[in-house]
Amino acid sequence: MRLLKKSVVALVAMSMVAGCSGGSDVASSDKTELSWWVINPPSPTAAEAQEKMIADFEAENPDIKITKTNRAIDAHKDSLRTSIGTSAAPDIYDYWAGPGLGGELVERGASEDISSYYTEYKWPERFTEAAMGPVTQYGGHHGVPWKLNGEAMFYNKALFEKAGITELPTTLDELNDAAAKLKDAGITPIEFGGTVNWHVMRLLDTFLEGYCGSETFDKLVTNQANWGEEECVTESFVNLEKWASDYFNPGFIGINNDEASSLFFTGEAAMALEGDWFNAQLADNAEVDNFGVFALPTGTGRMYGFEQAMYITKDSDSKDAAAKFLDFMMSEPVQEETLGLFASQSVNKNVTPTADDELSASWNEIFENAEGLYMNNDQNLTQAQTTEYWRIQNLVVTGALDPEEAGSEFQKFLDSSN
Amino acid sequence: MSKITATRLPPPPVLDAQRTSKKPFARRIAKGGFIAALPFLAPALAAYVVFVIGPMVSAVRLSLYEWSGFNSDPQVFVGFDNYVRLFTQDPVFWTAMQNTIVWVLLSLVIPTTLGLVMALALNRPIFGRNLFRSVFYIPGVLAPIAIANMWRWMYNPNYGVFSEISEFLGIGDGSGATFLSDPKLAIYAIFAAFVWQIAGLNMVLFLAGLQSVSKELVESARLDGANNWNVFRHITLPALRPTIIVVLVLTIVHSIKVFDLVVGMTGGGPAQSSQVLALWSYSQSFLQHDFGMGNAIAAVLLGITLVLVIPYLIWSSKGNED
Repeated sequence: MRLLKKSVVALVAMSMVAGCSGGSDVASSDKTELSWWVINPPSPTAAEAQEKMIADFEAENPDIKITKTNRAIDAHKDSLRTSIGTSAAPDIYDYWAGPGLGGELVERGASEDISSYYTEYKWPERFTEAAMGPVTQYGGHHGVPWKLNGEAMFYNKALFEKAGITELPTTLDELNDAAAKLKDAGITPIEFGGTVNWHVMRLLDTFLEGYCGSETFDKLVTNQANWGEEECVTESFVNLEKWASDYFNPGFIGINNDEASSLFFTGEAAMALEGDWFNAQLADNAEVDNFGVFALPTGTGRMYGFEQAMYITKDSDSKDAAAKFLDFMMSEPVQEETLGLFASQSVNKNVTPTADDELSASWNEIFENAEGLYMNNDQNLTQAQTTEYWRIQNLVVTGALDPEEAGSEFQKFLDSSN
Repeated sequence: MSKITATRLPPPPVLDAQRTSKKPFARRIAKGGFIAALPFLAPALAAYVVFVIGPMVSAVRLSLYEWSGFNSDPQVFVGFDNYVRLFTQDPVFWTAMQNTIVWVLLSLVIPTTLGLVMALALNRPIFGRNLFRSVFYIPGVLAPIAIANMWRWMYNPNYGVFSEISEFLGIGDGSGATFLSDPKLAIYAIFAAFVWQIAGLNMVLFLAGLQSVSKELVESARLDGANNWNVFRHITLPALRPTIIVVLVLTIVHSIKVFDLVVGMTGGGPAQSSQVLALWSYSQSFLQHDFGMGNAIAAVLLGITLVLVIPYLIWSSKGNED
């Protein structure tokens, strides 16, 4: 009997506890919860800025709560891959905008076409032309521009002077001439680390853009032109082989980009094809005033680079709240506050970049003059195509494949995988 | 008549082999107490099925499908298409296969011989014996990725020790050694690191085996006038036979699954020239998101491993029965 009494008391207590917790759920359900998956920020300061961004937004919007999940690059990719299409998918995700990465997720229905929010928040007026290209390339609007990185040619002023280069190259021919002059002066013209295939790839992409022109470049990377039939492809591979054998640092294929960069920092190589994030690395490792940067002289007017965007998932139940948060994130005050933490330039064209030093001023000019963007081919191509692109690139630079055959070799792979 | 004769004929004699292969097996199960032991084996067996057999079967199954790894993407049955693509269209598979075979063959010769020589040398009462044993064994306990980093620096064409030595000796064009940069040399340059890592481990196994060599037999042989070679050939080597088999099997297993060193030193490059099957399987699944192809390569790797290891398992189980 006593046991029965105890059981009844326990049941009542449990019911009360259950009732309380249910009430708490109701209270918390008044808030819209947003899950935001983002790649690890590049520095502790940037991480703090993200936290502050959330706190400020939540203070302005007490009915919205944001749960941020940071992950390393590969973990981020894997998590998205396994969660898209399930209830575990986030409301907002951070991703590269190129067809090979962001495009793959768009194709698989991960991202919502948010054209209506672009109209509602007047986003087209807010972002630069270069930033808008990658988010409109799939039709409609997929993602909101978040971070646009440009890549250009850094150079050592003293070594250029020593080689007698008085004018910065404005065409690929002038770039070739500059490299030849540097070599003649006994200077390693450019440094690359070949173990990370994307480093050398930057030069090949640049040759393709320069020799083929923007239209053909875009057709090539979208499989609308034949790599084996375009003369400019052969020209690009031939020039790449010439650069690799005559102008790259010896043994480049056996070292990575960081090891190669040290040659530039120490004045052992005259040029480095890097992005705007390289300013900070230069400042940490060398005297910034000794270096300059110029746009890659492709002659097309497009800037080389890539973009990261924030995408709203198709399955999100809180798209309105997500769009509100993204509007806040890309607004002028927030972008001004975080400028330089994630990229040297803001995607918001009303945010004026700083020009504290010559390098920053040069970058501002490069971004301002950009007439669109040509992206790194590891973002344009699928993962499998990228692997083959790198294999052929490396066969050419190591002399194991005739550059005349490189284009048709790559086309063969494209044909077999279609 | 012939029918009657036929029915009256005695049954054909059962071959000894047939008799021994059937009865003893059933008898062995009953006699060996297999059924009685089953409840005790069950937990381990269940874990083995779930964590080893299950993933293997799943990998083979997935090799017959096309799947991107996306939850939202269906797994499409394609039969043997992945294998056909692998064998006929994949530009890297045969390079990876060749490298894996070369790696296994070299591993069977170089680090095993080196391990045996070191064990024989350090089995004698020489000065600093224990120190040398430790020094030679240390690489075996280091993480392979750490070894890869170390050797990558040693091969660095600008600052590496090999570069310095080759420049000092005036070898090459003065730009230093470029072992990892040369598509023809890269795989052998990585293999050198593997030898450095594994030879010490083999040495320890051989040293353990050498302790079982009968000292009385060796002394008798010496009294009979046997020289060092004769003692090694007729006493030490036969006594080491079980150890040699273990070392060879372990070496094969280590060689087939080599991954970390290649990732850390070249990533399979340059131009996939140092690619191996295990890494290519990983790359297909997790970098290129082609899980069908990745698992097809894994299945090929599993097949090769079974072909090489099953004879050892049969041999060792026979040994236990004897």
